[in-house]
Amino acid sequence: MLCDDVKRIAYFFLDGTLGEQKKNDFSAHLNLCPECEARTKLHRRLRIFVRNRLARLTAPDRFKQRLMRTLRAVAAEWS
Amino acid sequence: MKTAEVYEHEQGWNFEKAAMPYVDSLYNTAYRMTRNSEDAEDLVQETYLKAYKYYDKFEEGTNFKAWLFKIMKNTFINNYRKKKLTPHKIDFSEIEESYERVIQKNAPDLIRDPESEIFQDMMDEDVKRALDSLPHDYKMVVLLADIEGFSYKEIAEILDCPVGTVMSRLYRGRKMLERTLLEYARKYGYIRGVAEPAKMRSRKDETKGRKKKEEPEGESEVAEPEENEEEVLFTGGEDDFELEDEEEQQEEFAIE
Repeated sequence: MLCDDVKRIAYFFLDGTLGEQKKNDFSAHLNLCPECEARTKLHRRLRIFVRNRLARLTAPDRFKQRLMRTLRAVAAEWS
Repeated sequence: MKTAEVYEHEQGWNFEKAAMPYVDSLYNTAYRMTRNSEDAEDLVQETYLKAYKYYDKFEEGTNFKAWLFKIMKNTFINNYRKKKLTPHKIDFSEIEESYERVIQKNAPDLIRDPESEIFQDMMDEDVKRALDSLPHDYKMVVLLADIEGFSYKEIAEILDCPVGTVMSRLYRGRKMLERTLLEYARKYGYIRGVAEPAKMRSRKDETKGRKKKEEPEGESEVAEPEENEEEVLFTGGEDDFELEDEEEQQEEFAIE
C-alpha cells in the first residue's frame, strides 16, 4: 500500500469500516511510514476536536413542553 | 409528568414515547442546518407533526431515529432550500491540492506532532464557522456521521442516496473541514507556518509532476456542488469495506 492509498482510506480506517485485509495493509503501512502515521493521528485528533467543540445542543425545555402539548392536542383532535 | 390518560388515542402515547428521546438529537442537527434556534424549533416541530401523521407507515423493526431524520431532511429541503437548489460546482482536485498545501506548507509541525495542543486555543465560533463553510450536502454527512454517529447505510437512507455517495461526501466533507480548520488556525495565529513541506512518497512524485499553480494565501472558497457532476469515489465490487449489509457490500461498495 502506498501513501496515496493510505490517504484515500484513512477516514474509513478511523471509522472502523475497512475490510480485514485492507485494515491490516493499512496498519502495516503506518508501522513503516511516520508521515502517514502522523497524518492519520491528525485526522483522528481533528475529528475528536470537532466533536467536542460542536457540543451537542439540547432542545430548550420550554420548546419540549410546547412540542408535547402540540402533539397531544393533535392526537386528541385526530382520535 | 406525562401519563397515558393524557391521550384519548393510544397511538399518540406510543409515538411520544418512541419519538421524544430523539428530540435533542433532532434539535442539534436542525440548529446546525438552519443556524438559528427559532427555525430549528419550527423544523423539529414540523418533523414531529409529520412523523406523527405518518406513524402508521413506519415499519416496526427499522431504524426509527433514521426515519425521523429523513423526515426532517425532507422537510428542510421543502421549506428552506427551494430557492437555493440552483446547481453550483466544486473543484474537487482543488480541494485535494489545497489540503496538501495547507498540511505541507502551513502546518508540517502538525504532521510531525499531531498531539500538540495548538487547537485548544481555537474559538468555538471558528469551529462552527468552519462547519458552516461546507456545502450543505457535505455538512450533512459530516454532521450525521461524526456528530450523530449514524452508519453509512443509515445516512444513505436519510439522504436518499447510495452508500458510495455517502462515503465520497464524507471523504471530501471531512477534508474540506480539516483544511478550513487548519487555515483558521494559521490565520489567527494558533499555529505558525513552516517553510519546508514534509516529503510524502506519492504516485504523483513517481509520475511526471504536474505543474502546480501558485496559490494565493488565505482561505479557498468552495462553491456548492453540482449534483449531476458529483463523482463517486468509492464504488466497485471488492470487499474492501465492512458494511452492515453483506450483500450490499459485495454488490456495490469498495474502492476501485
